[in-house]
Order: sequence, then C-alpha cells, then structure tokens
Amino acid sequence: MRVGAYELKLEKRVALAGWEATIISILAIVFALALFSILFILAGVHPLSAYREILAYAFVNSYGLPLTVNRFIFLLLCTSAFIIPLRARLWNIGMTGQFYAGALGAFAVLLAFGGKALPPPHLPPALVIPLMVTAAALSGAVLGAIAGFLKGRFNVNEIVVTMLLNFILYWLVAHMIKEGGPFMNPGGRGESFELPPSVYAPLIAGTPFTILLALGAAVFLHFLFAKSRLGYQIKAHGHSPAAARYAGISTFKIPFLVFVMGGVLAGLAGYHYFAAVPGVYKIARNYGYFGDLAFYGIICGLISLGNPLAAIPIALLFGGLSVGGRYVQGKLDMGFGVDYALLGVLMITLVAFQFFYRYRMVWMKTRRETVSVDGNLP
Amino acid sequence: MHKGLLEGIKRGETVIEARGITKRFPGVVANDHIDFEIRAGEIHAVLGENGAGKTTLMNILFGLLQPDEGEIYIGGQRVNFRSPLDAIDLGIGMVHQHRKLVSAHTVIENIILGHPKAGRILNLKKAEEEIAELCEKYGFKVDLRAKIWQLSEGEKQAVEILKTLYRGARVLILDEPTSALTPSETRKLLASIEAMARDELAIVPFITHKLPIVLAISDRVTVLRRGRVVSCQQTECATEKSLAREMVGREVIFRIERARVERGNPILQVENLSARSDKGFLALRGASFSIHEGEILGLAGISGNGQQELAEVLAGLRKAEGGRVIFEGQDITDASVLQRWQMGIGYIPSERTEVGSIGDFSLVENVAMNFYFDERFCRQGIVDYGKLQQLTEEIVSEYGVAAPSPVIKAKNLSGGNLQRLILARVLSRKPRLLIANLPTQGLDVGATEFVQNKLMQAKKEKAAILLISEDLDEILSVSDRVAPIYEGELMGILPAEEAMRETIGAMMAGLRSEGGEP
Ligand SMILES: Nc1ncnc2c1ncn2[C@@H]1O[C@H](COP(=O)(O)OP(=O)(O)OP(=O)(O)O)[C@@H](O)[C@H]1O
Ligand SMILES: [Mg+2]
Repeated sequence: MRVGAYELKLEKRVALAGWEATIISILAIVFALALFSILFILAGVHPLSAYREILAYAFVNSYGLPLTVNRFIFLLLCTSAFIIPLRARLWNIGMTGQFYAGALGAFAVLLAFGGKALPPPHLPPALVIPLMVTAAALSGAVLGAIAGFLKGRFNVNEIVVTMLLNFILYWLVAHMIKEGGPFMNPGGRGESFELPPSVYAPLIAGTPFTILLALGAAVFLHFLFAKSRLGYQIKAHGHSPAAARYAGISTFKIPFLVFVMGGVLAGLAGYHYFAAVPGVYKIARNYGYFGDLAFYGIICGLISLGNPLAAIPIALLFGGLSVGGRYVQGKLDMGFGVDYALLGVLMITLVAFQFFYRYRMVWMKTRRETVSVDGNLP
Repeated sequence: MHKGLLEGIKRGETVIEARGITKRFPGVVANDHIDFEIRAGEIHAVLGENGAGKTTLMNILFGLLQPDEGEIYIGGQRVNFRSPLDAIDLGIGMVHQHRKLVSAHTVIENIILGHPKAGRILNLKKAEEEIAELCEKYGFKVDLRAKIWQLSEGEKQAVEILKTLYRGARVLILDEPTSALTPSETRKLLASIEAMARDELAIVPFITHKLPIVLAISDRVTVLRRGRVVSCQQTECATEKSLAREMVGREVIFRIERARVERGNPILQVENLSARSDKGFLALRGASFSIHEGEILGLAGISGNGQQELAEVLAGLRKAEGGRVIFEGQDITDASVLQRWQMGIGYIPSERTEVGSIGDFSLVENVAMNFYFDERFCRQGIVDYGKLQQLTEEIVSEYGVAAPSPVIKAKNLSGGNLQRLILARVLSRKPRLLIANLPTQGLDVGATEFVQNKLMQAKKEKAAILLISEDLDEILSVSDRVAPIYEGELMGILPAEEAMRETIGAMMAGLRSEGGEP
C-alpha cells in the first residue's frame, strides 16, 4: 500500500517483547467486540448497552460473578492441561476425556466410602476430600498416560488418540450415571448421585479452594518452563526432537510426562466442576456441555502462546464472556447463542491478530526515481 | 514491467550493482556501506570470515532482506525489491546455504514448484524436455523422475540450480555451494559453473574457506571483513596467502603443528561394529579399531561411506547391529545418550542446524544442551541460567563467536559462527573421547586453523579423538593415525606421518592396505 511518498510494508519481527504481545492481544479483543457489535445492531440491540449488560453480569453481579469465577477455574485448568504438551509441540485434544475421567475418579472414591447411601452419610472430609482430589488427578493422569505412552513408544498420533479417548470417556460417564449404572442417582434423573454435604469442597470467600489449585498450577508451570531442568527438556523436545535426542533427552520420557501432567490438571477440572462448585455437587446431566467447554482450553492456550501466566487473564475473559453472553441472550431475548458466537468471533480475531506477533507494519519512504516492480507479476 | 532489464546484456557489462548497502541487526552492522558489482559472464567469488556478512549481502541482492541504506541497480536501472519474487522476475536466482527442497517430491515437481507458470495448464512433458535440455547444456546429471530424498547432496545442489535456471535466472547466487559436497561432486559442479558462465550468466559463488577453488575458477574476487569490502581484485593477482590475509586481517599459517603426546591407554575400543542406515541397509560393516589417550584417529572417506552411522552409534543415537563398543574398559554398546555424555564422551554432529543446535533457542539455551544435566549448572532440577550465561559469554569470547549478545537466537548466527558455538560447547566439557564429525565444514581459514589447534590442545589434555573429515589434507596434518573407510568397511589403519596421500586416496576408493594393523 502506498500513500504519497510513503509505502506501508510488512516486516518480519526479530523479537517480540511481552508488552508488545499484550498490546496486540488487547487490540484484538477491542476489534472483536467492535466486529461483534454488528450482530447486536442487526438484532436491534444497542451494542454498548449489550456489552455493559454482559460485563456487569459477568464481573459485578452477585449471581454472575461466582459463575464466572467457577468457569474461570475450570478453563484455566484445561488451558494449563493443553499448554504443557504444547510446549513439547504435542497436541492434547483430550482435556474433555481427562476431565470426565477426573470426575469419575472423584465419585469412585465417594462410592467406596458409601457416599451414595440415603440419607447422605457423614464422611470424614479431612480424609475423603484429599482422596477425591488425588483420585481425580490420577484418573486424568492415566488417560493422559495412554496418549503419552503411545506417542513416545510407537509414535502414534496423539491427536487421534486423545480424541478417541474423549468419545470413550463420554460414553463411560453416560454408562456410569444412567439408570442402573454404579453412579446413578437414586432418583434416576440421568445424573449421578449427589455429594454428601459433609464432603463439599471448602470455600474461600465463597469460592471453591480449587481456585488455589488452578492459580498455583499456572504459577508452577511458569516456574517449570522458566527455571527447571524438566521445563528445559520439554522446550528442547518441542523445538527439535532430533536436537533434544542428541542432547540426551529421552524421546519417550518427554511425551509421556507432558501428557501425564496435562491429564492431572484436566482431571482436577473434573473434581472442580462436579464436586466443588456450589449448587452442582454431582455429575450433571449436561456434563457434555462442560466437556465441550473444555475445548476452549485449546483456544486459550494458543492465544496465550503457551505462556501459563498469560493464560490467567485470557481464561478469566473467556469464562466471563461465556457467562455474560448466555445471560444477555435470555435477557434481551436474542435468537442465537450469544455466548458461543461471541467466543467464536473473539477466538478468530485473536488468532488472526497473531499475525502481528510475527510481522509488524512499517512506513518506508520511497524515492521518486525508484523503479519499482509493481503488482504485475505474471 | 521491467522484466527486460537484463535482455541483450553483453559479456563484461554490469548486471547488478549495489551501492552503499548497509544492513544493521540488533548489535551488529552486518553490511557496512558495501559497493559491489557483478558483470555478465563472470564468476565472481565473495570471500570472508564467518559472520563477515556474505549471506546477508546476497539475501539483500535477492530481495530476502531490505537494506537499511543503499541502492541496487539492475542493468543500470534503480530497483527496489519487496520480496524475492521481484528479484526472480528480473532474472536473479539464489541457491541457499541450507537446501530448501521438498524431499517427498520428484526432481521435476521441485523444479516446477512455485514457478510462475505452474498455476496455468501444466505441460509436464514440455517442462521435462526443457529441463533435460538445461541439464544437457550445463552438464548436470540428474534423474528427473527420482524423488529428492534419493539424491546425493551434489545432485540436490544441481536441482536447486536447475530450479533457478528454469525460472530464467541470468544471475545465479550460490551461497557456499561446495561445503556439503564431496570432492568429485565439487569438480562436477565447478565444470557446470564454468559452462554457465560461458553462456553469459553472471555467477556469484560463495566460498568461505576453500581458497584453492576460488583461485581455480573465479574471474574476480571480493573480500569482506566485518561487513566492509576490503578488496576487489582480478583473481590472477591473488594468492591463497594474500586472500587469507585480507580475510582474517593477519597472517594465516596453513600447516598446523602436530603435538607430540605420549600415547596412553586405550580409551575407546570398537570391536566388529555394524550398523544399519536410515534406509535399512548395512552401512557400517564390522569396524574394529581403538583410540588411545592423547591420540587423534582420522576417519578418511567420502561422505556416505558409513562415517555418519559410526559416529551416531558411538554417540548412542543409533543402535548397533552387531559388535561392541568399550569405553575406558566398560562395555557401553547399550548405554543411553545421556549416560555417554556424563561418562565423558562428546559428540560434534555434522548437521549443525538440525541436530547440533536449536534455532529458536538463545545461545545460552543452546549451550545448555550439553550442560543441563551437569551438577555444576543444575541443582535439584533447577537450571542455573545465570551461571550458564557466564559460561556462554566465556566460550563465545574464547572461540570468537561473532554474536552481539548471548541471548540472541541461534538462528541469527552466521553458519560458521554456529559451528564455532557447537564446537566450543562440546570442547568445554573436556570430553575424554571426542567424536568430531566434519568439524571444520563451512569454517573460514582462520577458524579452521583455530579449530584444528583446539583439537590439538584437547589431545594434549589426553583426550582420545575420532576426527571424521572428507578433507584429506586436514586428516593428514591433524591426525596421528588414519583409517580410510569405504562402503562401511575400514580399509586399514596407517600412521599419518608415513602415509602417502596416494595410498590413502586409493584406500578411500576401496583398495585394501596390505600391512595395516587394526
Ligand atoms: N536475522 C538476523 N538477526 C540478527 N543478526 C543477524 C541475522 N542474520 C545475520 N545476523 C548477523 O549478521 C552478521 C553477518 O551474518 P552473515 O550470515 O551474513 O555471515 P556470513 O558471512 O554468511 O558468515 P558464514 O560464513 O558463517 O555463513 C553475523 O554477525 C550474524 O550474527
Ligand atoms: Mg553465510
């Protein structure tokens, strides 16, 4: 493009500073919201008031905010679960399955302690809650380990394996909670039995303690990649498996470990959503909805470029918009799924804006006498 | 449209002229007001130390990089390249230091790929005829239907050249065209280059350290040092010594002093070792030899005769098919790569960008490749990056790696500087056994001398060294004993000082020695 004696050029960036990435992301979000306004206008809604409603419900309203926070915890765990293998250039598409596995693991502990009985028995929380958390983490880990093992030992494509496991686990959950299934609700409502109140997850200022697990995991991962030997090995394997092998890094251990670690975090998300969020406390009938939501971990992970700390605000934003979007849809009586549409537009713009992570625009002065080889390439 | 700028140009007329080209990267001026000119029909060599700015200059002439200052004239007209497409359009072709072919495709497909005409109706048959004609004319021998992965390095090089010629290049820029080629392939390439020059093509081959080649084929030579032109002269007026002096800025001694070291205990014993290549055939067959403390064993041979496989088996990167490897009395045939590093084995791989380094890692992280497991730099699973940075700074200055800072990415280093970094990193581990696979490939004369001296120093410090090289002069002047290898078999082992060049050359071609002790 040319204006007067100046020409707009794209130049490859030599390096991208953290603040540059932040500014680009913020611009992308603003751009996405502006773009999405068109949909509001078409639906006859004033975009600014719609956004005000969304944000107010998601981040201020006393009903909306806890919903947002719980989604945020869930999304952050799924995002971290995606990021760990991503840094080894492996794709964990299996957070959904690992999340289901985590939920099943936690409820299996309850079942073992007779938590299914009616009226709900009193279970010792100091024993049962840690066991549930551990079981959720382990179940997720086992699922991750399958993909990691097949990748590391036989180089089986991890995307295919994790996807297949998602389906298997979806049906396994259905089997467990259906009529006659081991986890069935005595009322037979197509959901699992309920958590005895004695082992409800402790709340910190109304928020499940799992928020500490999610934030702690993000900080831990940041540290892992910045300082630790394992983080170094993962990154080296991610950039070049051949070079990593030369350096003595096991091409089996790394895929295996990253999937186990990812599985642990996605498994914890299963504990969080079905055993720690107030008002849920069971494997809900619409568990598939949350399974789908787990896929947003992929988007959040990609947008944050695999940076575990950057994932925190992004997961918060996505959690909030999904809650607020669903709310305005009902409130303003809109005819389409505002939450999914909004997240979709946001996702596409953020990914498109990543172009500017690699290129930047510069104005170059062009001289008059220059012969330029203009657009008529054959 | 300016396609015609080079039409009708005659021998001796200026084809490309660059004036005052300047290119800065963070921390370095890679090109500093360079004036440079190429004429039709000439072979113009550009020489310079590693990091002198040769690749940068050529990338600018090819439109891959934009100069910060300076002008480019083609056929007398000022031009402004926005991308290589513009340069290709004007008849400039470039073959890069690192090849960029699609290995699963055939030669023809690669040549046509990305051709401006490829989008239109494709007449493969006609294209094949045209390409065959080019081959005929310039003496390239390539099977056009073969897949790229089946080709040797020399044939791949030919395909790259054909690709640019087929797009109508009148100026051919070759960045280090011979560094990955065997001597006989080099000879063939040079013959083709001369044939092309007779055809009024201007050619700029880039040769960093093979000065004899420069002297043999070029008409003019430009020497760069630290981004500046230090001389531009008719090749007849130059000698190997004068060029080396201009490049490095000091006198270069071409013979290196062989260190006298008492031969100690055997460090490495290899017994009847065999290994398969990636393609599955037996590439190394029953090799047996030993290397002692303070000894350099030179493995002489044309690339592809099993050296790579041997090096990889010793480094633990490839499984042995049969035989044993004994290191300091211990059987390590099945030891892991990491165990070998920790025991004191060091490996300098020949594939420096794919295996020896990680382009997106900083220099510090690249140095960490050989130290992340080392107690001194990593405690309780925490890597001490501060200390590693210190080490990096030390070895960067000791080995003269031209880099503005230790935190730049390795992919921003020039080819030779990357090689120095890898060498420096491995040698600073002070390995007991060093496997050096083509350690001086792509290095300038000064750096080659430097590396050979470093090998000597390691030898004085009682290391056992396996030096793999195609350069017979290097092998003969550096090593204590020479083992020529041919089709995966050692042809014998001779003391280097008494060995006749001709004998070794014959053994490299498959003739077995009579009295060689194993
Ligand atoms: N993309 C880049 N970013 C930063 N610095 C760069 C980049 N490319 C090259 N350099 C620096 O510019 C200098 C010149 O590099 P160049 O690749 O032109 O050298 P060269 O003469 O081709 O050397 P060699 O013989 O080793 O290939 C080097 O110091 C290098 O580190
Ligand atoms: Mg170069």
